[in-house]
Amino acid sequence: MRVLGISAHYHDSAAALLVDGEPVCAVQEERLSRRKNDAAFPLSAIEWCLEQARVEPDQLDAVVFYEKPMLKFERILTMALRGFPRTWGSFPRAMQNALGGKLWVKGIIRSQLGIRTDRILFCEHHQSHAAAAFFTAPTKSAAILTADGVGEWATLTLGRGEVDEAGRARIQLSRELRFPHSLGMLYSTFTAYLGFPVNEGEYKVMGLAAYGNPTYEGLLKRIAQRTPDGGLALDLSWFDFHQGARHSYSRKMVAELGPPREPWDPIDLQSADGRRYADVAASVQRVLEEILVDLARRLQRETGLHDLCLGGGVALNGVANARILRESGFRNVYVPSAPGDAGCALGAALYADRIHFARAHQPVADHPYWGPAVDAGELSRVAGEDGLDAMRLPEAELIRRVADELARGRIVGWMQGACELGPRALGNRSILAAPHQHAMRDRLNRSIKYREEFRPFAPAVPLEHADRYFELPPGGARLARFMSGVFPVRPEWRDKLAAVTHVDGTARLQTVDRAMAPAFHALLEAYGARTGMPVLLNTSFNLAGEPIVNRAIEGYSTFRRSGIDLLVAGDSLVVKDHSTQALPEVA
Amino acid sequence: MRVEPSRLDRLLKPLHRWVWADPRRRARKLLRFAETEADGARDLARAAELTRDPLLRRLYLRHAEDEQRHADLFAGRGRDLATRGAGGRFEANWLAPGERGLDDLRLEQEADESLLAFLHLSEQAAAGRFTVYVEVLDADPQTRAVFTRILEDEVFHMTYTRRQLARLSPRKQGLLLWQARAGRVWHAYLRAAAVLAAVLGHVFLALQYFLLLPAFALLAKRAARKEAEGLSAARHPTPMTSQY
Repeated sequence: MRVLGISAHYHDSAAALLVDGEPVCAVQEERLSRRKNDAAFPLSAIEWCLEQARVEPDQLDAVVFYEKPMLKFERILTMALRGFPRTWGSFPRAMQNALGGKLWVKGIIRSQLGIRTDRILFCEHHQSHAAAAFFTAPTKSAAILTADGVGEWATLTLGRGEVDEAGRARIQLSRELRFPHSLGMLYSTFTAYLGFPVNEGEYKVMGLAAYGNPTYEGLLKRIAQRTPDGGLALDLSWFDFHQGARHSYSRKMVAELGPPREPWDPIDLQSADGRRYADVAASVQRVLEEILVDLARRLQRETGLHDLCLGGGVALNGVANARILRESGFRNVYVPSAPGDAGCALGAALYADRIHFARAHQPVADHPYWGPAVDAGELSRVAGEDGLDAMRLPEAELIRRVADELARGRIVGWMQGACELGPRALGNRSILAAPHQHAMRDRLNRSIKYREEFRPFAPAVPLEHADRYFELPPGGARLARFMSGVFPVRPEWRDKLAAVTHVDGTARLQTVDRAMAPAFHALLEAYGARTGMPVLLNTSFNLAGEPIVNRAIEGYSTFRRSGIDLLVAGDSLVVKDHSTQALPEVA
Repeated sequence: MRVEPSRLDRLLKPLHRWVWADPRRRARKLLRFAETEADGARDLARAAELTRDPLLRRLYLRHAEDEQRHADLFAGRGRDLATRGAGGRFEANWLAPGERGLDDLRLEQEADESLLAFLHLSEQAAAGRFTVYVEVLDADPQTRAVFTRILEDEVFHMTYTRRQLARLSPRKQGLLLWQARAGRVWHAYLRAAAVLAAVLGHVFLALQYFLLLPAFALLAKRAARKEAEGLSAARHPTPMTSQY
């Protein structure tokens, strides 16, 4: 049986293909179209998946869309009616959006793939999130918590998933929070207030929070009030997102918190405004964490289960995830590599396979590498054409050479195997560097990433050494498998891991399992043999405003335009030679 | 290669002077130019990744780096001005645009020759316009210096795109340039048509909103008041064949 999952039309569209219940490939459209957070119908991703599995569209048994378009339209229309007449400005835009394409998904799928309409299925948005979290986790019984901005109506769901001995699977979402009351929208509204792009800049708020004090916590708790059943009710007088206004926050919020930050305005943490922004970030972060921890704690008590599967964009908040693990009573917290909408393509396909078609569950390979593989030959070819010497080295020699260069303070673009599904570079499309000095962080910010100084870089460490450098609670190493948790760096190592230790002494680490990423693991070990610390700074292989690289040529283009010293794609290695970058006389 | 402003830009010089006179508007325009240049940098990097011609790849990469530097220059000056001045929010982008970059060109579908022709015209138009901006910015030497610096790069971009077009397509270069000109006109028409369609659609839907929705709005508001706050029982899953 062949099931194709699709997510599209909001942000991060993607496609994923299951063959006989097993995922064979999945990729975000942005990695192929090279448009960051590409929300378009993922035709390139679909074509790549089908080609990869040598499947023709008419051989697909089902194509599953990750949400129910009509139900979503009902929410948009209802909110426009409820907000009458204040929604007059946003109503035409919302209708043009919906009627201009989003509502006609079935027709788009039928016309693009040429398949029968009875093979097109629709999975509710939060069921897709739940399935992506539960069916990819190594557990047979777990509580499920999903939270994001909004799907159709639900913004947060609570439930459980189970697989019995015969492999029969069940996902039961028992309660939900409905729009406009939304944890994700609460956080996004403050993301917008702080001048960061919504659906993209939320992790900047998390990074900024560490510099502030939660002085607005009381106010935030008035804005996001808890209900007796453990839920949440936003005081909508502070918001405008539900009325579709230009800003998601209201004038009342600006009057109370002061002027919002302009996107172009740099954050100076020494200035009064800079400290205010950091305090606002710290406050919203604190409130988000406390609500999530409380919800998870109640869910644990109610279900008595040991495992929790987290899904939805809110599950990208590593600080909150780590607190859930420490304080909720769950022994394990599982977050997939793509908990956001991109992962819903895989979730929707898994839901259809296990629930709709009632096929027996089989464990999903526990890794994030579902995308296109890198072609080492392509790097050799283009580097050769540019007069650069591209070496093809046996793996052991390649690892030795790269570890030597990293120990010498060089910055390495590292591409191996298939690209990751999700927003994190987990060792297959990474920029790697020595993690020991602040100077390296500054150099990366200045010459490669061009990003705000307050944002931390992440470390990667072999699973077996993680405890030595980081304070991991039970289950912490697992949560860090896909960089989903933020944990304290042990005090004695903070000075030696200065480039990856955030201002509050924490790091969003990745624990690298030899079985999952053997070459990356070997590189970390080799680096450890040279420096005494098998820890590397690992940041995503992209420049500001661009998606993570996919093909070797994209890695090469990034390498040429930035301060990366060495580029590795598979077994091919290129060292930057500044003299070859001069152009012949063409002007 | 000489840079000449178009006749239209010359004609509009008093208007340009007025547009650039307000510091707040100047700041916003520069910040918007910065975004366009950064987009252009990404498009050119993509062009470099797609071409099979090694020399073009290197030139596109250099061009992409230039565009990124321009983005930084515009953003830096825009930020400087924005923190000081006050004034109107009207940016007059249609009257005084920046560089249009690669417009809505589908890079994957373009041959090197047609892309070079398009880039050449785009750079030529931007350079011509920037010379006018330099002339009208006599009261703001710092912004003027930014444009002057960028203009030097634009001349290089105009030159290399023209020479490379001649190298790749010595016989058809004239035709390709005319096709690119027609393409620019077509894109301008599409932009204008899209805006007009959006405005008409907006007006039509806004009319419907006020004429048809009030009664339903009352019902929706009444229903909303009855909704309990907090968690509710999850919706019973509907069949996967249903879009509801």
